Amino acid sequence: MNDAKHSRTLTALLLAPAGVFFVFLLVLPLLVMLVYSFGVRAPEGGYQAAFTFDNYLNLPARGKAFTNTLLLAPLATALTVLFAYPMAYFLAVKVSPRWRNAMLVLVVAPFWTSQLLRYYAWMMILGSKGIPSWLEWIGIADVRLLNTPYAVLIGAVYGFLPLMVPPIFVSLEKLDKRLLEASADLGSKPWQSFLQITLPLSLPGVATGSMLVFILLMGDYILPQFLGGGKVYFIGNALVDLFLQSRNWPFGAAVSIALVIIMFVTMYFYMRFVLGKTDQRRVAMV
Amino acid sequence: MSNDTIKPQKFLEELRRYEKGSVTRRHFLGVTGLGLATSVMSAAVPGLQPRKAFAEGLSGTVNFTTWPNYFAQENIDNFTKNTGVKVNVTIFGSNEEMLAKLQAGSTGWDLFVPTNYTISTYKKLDLIEPLDMKLVPNYDASTQDPQFTGPGTIDGTLYAIVKDWGTTGYVVDTRKVKKTPETWKDFFDAAQGELSGKVLVHDYQLTTIGGALKALGHSFNSVDAGEMAAAEKLLLATKPHLFGINSDYQPSMRNGDAVMSMCWTNDGAQLHRDIKEMEYRLGKDGGEIWADHYAIPKGAPNRAAGYALMDYLLTPEINAKEVKSNGAPSSDSRVNAMVPKEMLENPILYPAKELLSKLEFGAAETLTNPVRAEIMARFKAA
Amino acid sequence: MRIYATLVYLFLYFPIALIVGFSFNAGKYAMDWQGFSLAWYSKAFSNPLILQALITSLIIAGMTALLSAIIGTMTALGLERVTGRTRTIFDALIYISIMVPGIVIGISTLIAFVTLFNMVNPLLLSLWNIKIEMGIWTVIAAHVLFNLAVVCLLVRARLTGMDRSLVEASEDLYATPMGTFRQVVLPLLMPSILAGFLLSFTFSFEDFIITFFVAGPNVTLPIYVFSSIRRGVTPEINAVGTVVLLSSLLLLVIAQVILQRSEKIAVAKS
Repeated sequence: MNDAKHSRTLTALLLAPAGVFFVFLLVLPLLVMLVYSFGVRAPEGGYQAAFTFDNYLNLPARGKAFTNTLLLAPLATALTVLFAYPMAYFLAVKVSPRWRNAMLVLVVAPFWTSQLLRYYAWMMILGSKGIPSWLEWIGIADVRLLNTPYAVLIGAVYGFLPLMVPPIFVSLEKLDKRLLEASADLGSKPWQSFLQITLPLSLPGVATGSMLVFILLMGDYILPQFLGGGKVYFIGNALVDLFLQSRNWPFGAAVSIALVIIMFVTMYFYMRFVLGKTDQRRVAMV
Repeated sequence: MSNDTIKPQKFLEELRRYEKGSVTRRHFLGVTGLGLATSVMSAAVPGLQPRKAFAEGLSGTVNFTTWPNYFAQENIDNFTKNTGVKVNVTIFGSNEEMLAKLQAGSTGWDLFVPTNYTISTYKKLDLIEPLDMKLVPNYDASTQDPQFTGPGTIDGTLYAIVKDWGTTGYVVDTRKVKKTPETWKDFFDAAQGELSGKVLVHDYQLTTIGGALKALGHSFNSVDAGEMAAAEKLLLATKPHLFGINSDYQPSMRNGDAVMSMCWTNDGAQLHRDIKEMEYRLGKDGGEIWADHYAIPKGAPNRAAGYALMDYLLTPEINAKEVKSNGAPSSDSRVNAMVPKEMLENPILYPAKELLSKLEFGAAETLTNPVRAEIMARFKAA
Repeated sequence: MRIYATLVYLFLYFPIALIVGFSFNAGKYAMDWQGFSLAWYSKAFSNPLILQALITSLIIAGMTALLSAIIGTMTALGLERVTGRTRTIFDALIYISIMVPGIVIGISTLIAFVTLFNMVNPLLLSLWNIKIEMGIWTVIAAHVLFNLAVVCLLVRARLTGMDRSLVEASEDLYATPMGTFRQVVLPLLMPSILAGFLLSFTFSFEDFIITFFVAGPNVTLPIYVFSSIRRGVTPEINAVGTVVLLSSLLLLVIAQVILQRSEKIAVAKS
């Protein structure tokens, strides 16, 4: 009896700090946001209490921001997987264990230099004195990259590759090499073994990495701002503009709530259909 | 000082030009050396001498919020050297953004630089304090150009002091642009036509919507529903042709990504100073004339240092360095007396009278008008 | 394959080479080469604001990583002991913390806190003449939310993979629960706690958007860099970026060594 009580106190103590964070930094702010989303813009901008659905009805006015983000964020995530996978495979399978960690660290290290500075460097590389001028030199004139969706996609692959490689690497590294040998012994071609054994077993890593990158891209502001130059507009840009420029906080709140709902729905289906098929526990490993 | 002596003949010529209105008062004072005489006189009369009130009892960091490319680093460094107060400079891109941050609260700013048309709103929302003139001994109302001092005074109380003034036009890289646009209409035509893909507009409702309104022949400040709708249409039609929507346009102009951009006086002067072919123009059909002000937010945590920095930057010799560095002209005749003649004759800084007379000061209504704000947001989101 | 990997490294390091290269630029504009100079390094490190920003960033990232590691681990351990509704609610909250984009967290925290402060401050002022405001602590709090969830997931993954028999063996040997925890469970969890610590540190150190909204007047390194980019980058910022990269590489190597060693110890103990 006393033991059970003691045990319950311990459990409560262990969970209390996280509970405090969830209440004050997640539930409370989201509730305030929800309340704001039914208000109206004050005459000088900001929030004025009211109860109206106008802000939600007005969401189509930012339709382009939603479609842009919902198109480019998954596309960029897929591209990042496409570029990260062979790299992770190379590190996990082809590189000798001696050098493996060092080479992985080299992939992750760029993430430790200021993200803003790296995008700034890309502004120079994609600007007219960068790649377009090199292309002109070999005869391809008038290429525009900076402030186009291509620039945003390149920036996304660049920015998130260091986050995507490690989880895929971890899942590939755990792969039992004997499985591949057995498969080869049974007469499978290398690509068959890859499709039947390696790929399915590495899916949890792919799933973890994509989830992280997708979430970060959905709320991104810096990337479209720097490499899209105000021409590639994400939900993040719409939010910053609504809160800091037009100061229509209620409408901004409605856009935020819509974004959160979109995240819930996509994540729900993602977990249900992608993670459901893979091993849940492995997915959480980074 | 460039004109210690001036021949009587020349003086009379200049006086006549001034009377005819073909030169500004600033030009006249600068060229004739009267400005210098004023400052020599004020130095001789103890009561008029700049007082060094700062440096006592100050400490910590002062949070100074201003616009891009808009201050002399040398002055900031010297202020720190003199007072021991570190200056944290934060850069903003629009008045709307400054207002939003102050409305949300907890900014910790001690000094900031709102533009003329926003001051009445700050006062209305109780976000700025009436200035304690005892703490700004270097300010002298009598040497200010009255053309600019209106917005800082509300109901007879001074809330903000003019930092400098300027205009909004456009900068053109004449190495790459054959025919320089003459009007805002030309600007938008060129943006959609031969300069497609190489033009920037501000990420700022006042000037971007204002420019489009001018191109259509309306007032820069219009909040008329029909006129604004037409301006939105023009902006949306131009958007696919733009290189970007950005108030930090100097890098793109220097880098050659853009060949034309909406532009403020100070940026125009800086670009022209470094690259002679960068020419700053005012639309012949009008545009904006503005005056940025120093103001102290209510509840500034290091209020004394905020005042001290403002006072320091308003000291004529220091202010002259500001003008020389960032290129926006001062409204203080003591300062103009110390600015080199080339600057006073620079048409970027002091445009011809016929161009100036067409310009409009921004109207307070544009800052808070929800439709203008939403048009800008829709233009960006399109 | 080898060629592909080389290309990926080139892709990753070319922009960084630009940043590092131009940190030695004598000219005033970051990307306009005017000759070799070390001047910007001495300038950057005698600039009190850059140093202040760096210190602020290190404090925020350090505190965030520490708190996230501790609270995240506690939560993971606590959740092992509960089932039913409590567990479902906590699971949901953990996933929601990760899922809600940083920009929404930043804006909503700002609005909620300012509203809250406006309500409590008059009372606090009249009672004790104090008031609460946005500051470093609000940044840390907002950062910890996301990162504690990350740490919790990492630790739980390790816990589920952990060999129960070790704990049982320890209990059979009459070790106290605390002893079992200290000598068996904690060392086994250490790699994932450390990984979570590092990850939290990075996310916090690099974060711009949450900090932008909730930092009040405080300036972190990303905020300083953002402001600098707006007023025209000078090589000073490149110099800071280079130094940060080098020190983080160094830290990574150290962390790698520690991780490997603790992994070995854990293996040896089992």
